[in-house]
Amino acid sequence: MRNNLICLFFIITGMFACKKETDPLFDKSPDERINDTLARYQQVLTTAPYGWKAFVYPAGVPGSVFGFYFSFSDANRVQMFSDFDAASTGTMRESSWRLKALQQPCLLFDTYSYLHVLSDPDAGQNGGQYGQGLGSDFEFAINGAAGDTVWLTGRFHGSKAILVKATPQDKDNYFQHRINRSVDSISAILTYFHKFTTAGNRYDIRINPYLHQVNFTWISNGKVKQASTGYVYTATGISLMPAFTDSTITINSFDQVKWENGAITFTVNGKPAAIAETVTPLAIDAAAPKRWYQYALQNESYWATYYGFHVNGKDDACGITGLPAYAFLTYYPQIDGPGTSLDLLGFVVKQETGGNVISYGPGYDAPTFTSDGRIIFNDNGLYGNLPADRTAINKTRSLMADPMGFYLVQTSSLTYDMVSARDGKSWINWQGF
Amino acid sequence: MKAFLLIIPLCLLMACSKKEDLGNVEDIPGLGGDTWAASPLDKWLHDTLTVPFNIAVKYKWDQFEFELNKTLVPPKEEKIIPVMSAIRQVWMDTYIAEAGALFFKKYCPKYFILSGSASWNENGTITLGTAEGGRKVVLYLVNDFLTKSMEGYKPSDSANVKQMFHVIEHEFGHILHQTVMYPVEFKRICAGFYTGNWNNISDMAARRDGFVTPYAMSAFDEDFVEMVSTMLVEGKQGFDAIVNSIPEGTSINGVTKAEAQSRLRQKEAMVVSYFLTVWHINFYSLQTRTRKEINQLLY
Repeated sequence: MRNNLICLFFIITGMFACKKETDPLFDKSPDERINDTLARYQQVLTTAPYGWKAFVYPAGVPGSVFGFYFSFSDANRVQMFSDFDAASTGTMRESSWRLKALQQPCLLFDTYSYLHVLSDPDAGQNGGQYGQGLGSDFEFAINGAAGDTVWLTGRFHGSKAILVKATPQDKDNYFQHRINRSVDSISAILTYFHKFTTAGNRYDIRINPYLHQVNFTWISNGKVKQASTGYVYTATGISLMPAFTDSTITINSFDQVKWENGAITFTVNGKPAAIAETVTPLAIDAAAPKRWYQYALQNESYWATYYGFHVNGKDDACGITGLPAYAFLTYYPQIDGPGTSLDLLGFVVKQETGGNVISYGPGYDAPTFTSDGRIIFNDNGLYGNLPADRTAINKTRSLMADPMGFYLVQTSSLTYDMVSARDGKSWINWQGF
Repeated sequence: MKAFLLIIPLCLLMACSKKEDLGNVEDIPGLGGDTWAASPLDKWLHDTLTVPFNIAVKYKWDQFEFELNKTLVPPKEEKIIPVMSAIRQVWMDTYIAEAGALFFKKYCPKYFILSGSASWNENGTITLGTAEGGRKVVLYLVNDFLTKSMEGYKPSDSANVKQMFHVIEHEFGHILHQTVMYPVEFKRICAGFYTGNWNNISDMAARRDGFVTPYAMSAFDEDFVEMVSTMLVEGKQGFDAIVNSIPEGTSINGVTKAEAQSRLRQKEAMVVSYFLTVWHINFYSLQTRTRKEINQLLY
């Protein structure tokens, strides 16, 4: 009896072991479904009648955003503009694209285009870091598409990008060259500080046309406030992304931007606005000169610059890089050791044997720090083995000796800009160590 | 009990009696994106390289062909025909003229991968070319490829272009010696001077020890193919100039000028005789042809 039961058990097991039907959760295989999805995205991308506007946020430069125009064809070709620079705004470039499932449905731009300029590891192409570029992407996972919008995430650096269906107007703006890049004229305003005024509000503004960033500084209830935002170029000017807002105003865009009479004029929320030169900034970091000086002193070190003075829009205005065997320029407080009295604006010269030596330059007594945040250098003569042609040295020396002195602006933990308090049009970028 | 032993195989047999429908194996849909509408460029590559030589050129981006942690960009489409034409002129046509089409088709690497940018290394240097297994050659910095017939060419651009040919000749040299080994005496010429530290050695320091480039110091095989590629790309004159540039005195490793020069000359002679005996190629004639083509492109 027991044996019979066991026999029966085996027979039943054998029979059921063969149950073959599986009920698929989906009506098609994964391969078929992924191909259906790709086909759907392909259709979405290629059937937008006026192409796509795109906004790319490079992961390597938080806050920056770049505007693009794409028109995808079914033959794997994409026509493109980008607001990266004047050339890419004005000239259409065609390259290739395709959709591929790389774990997710992905949109690949697979030959070089304006989009790749942001990713190029040659920093000479985009002002980023060598080996990294701006940390942007050209292969994107498609996160989803709804209505007029497609959301993308870069596969390599994780940059975000958004595609929005373009209107006929958007398309014409690019193809008819109507993108307004007048804001770039900010580089023709020669002062270090720029003043932005609108509707009774005043800000200090810095615009970085390479990284597409705007920085606002203002005073609110006696306190200095700062905010940064990205921007893209539009047919009327620039559009801030995201919008800038303080307690009194929200700024989405600069419209009707024009360069006239040495200033940038435009409208903000329909009211007139302007960016113009200013010698004095709104907010002065009064402690900066002392901080700058003390940092080098405490580290028994120096501040260095390659170009020396930038004057009236010109780098290396004194021509110091042309000095014989010139390496770089330093400001070395108490050069003979702590407690000694001589500061030296030391010119560093390359030696034939290799290595660099501080060789000559104007000397200074301890600088004067004014209560309003300026540093004044007290010249006491030239030191060292001077070269035969001293033009560049004398020019630099006379700029340094300006009795009005300089403001200092800390731009990062180890960089300061030293700006003339007389006209704001000459400055030195100091690099610390 | 015997019944049991019978039942178990029976069960197993039944358990296995499945008829699986594999579906249509002729048409597996895949993951998509591996085909695209052929452009005139695709057609040019197919007609010029794939049909005659079975060489494929991959210019559309595929990160998996490269180091996965490197930021790189794809090539500009307009650079691809100039690059591949130059390669055909300098490397393919010269070998074919000297050794015949059959030789070339049999041994050439079959897979070229192009990157628009250079590959930036941690130490600030850049890589301009790599190769794998005698089959795949990766060329970088295609976007900066400029020859004298192209707009904006400066003499300094020639370094990039020469480096590209250097990579290809180097890799092809590997294929040749991996097929038939060079004489073992070659390894004795500079025995004891090979080092893993080659990347910290300057060109001149390497020459003073009797190596044509620092990379030649990394291994016997590299030494051999660096000799081949440098001699081909620089030409006879260029190679003589390298030999003659070795200054008086002894190197850090105690090699005199005469020793270093004699080492390079011994290696040269061995390369030439290897090409003649193994491949029936007149190396000097190949060298003249190669250099002539490079001169035409660059100077």
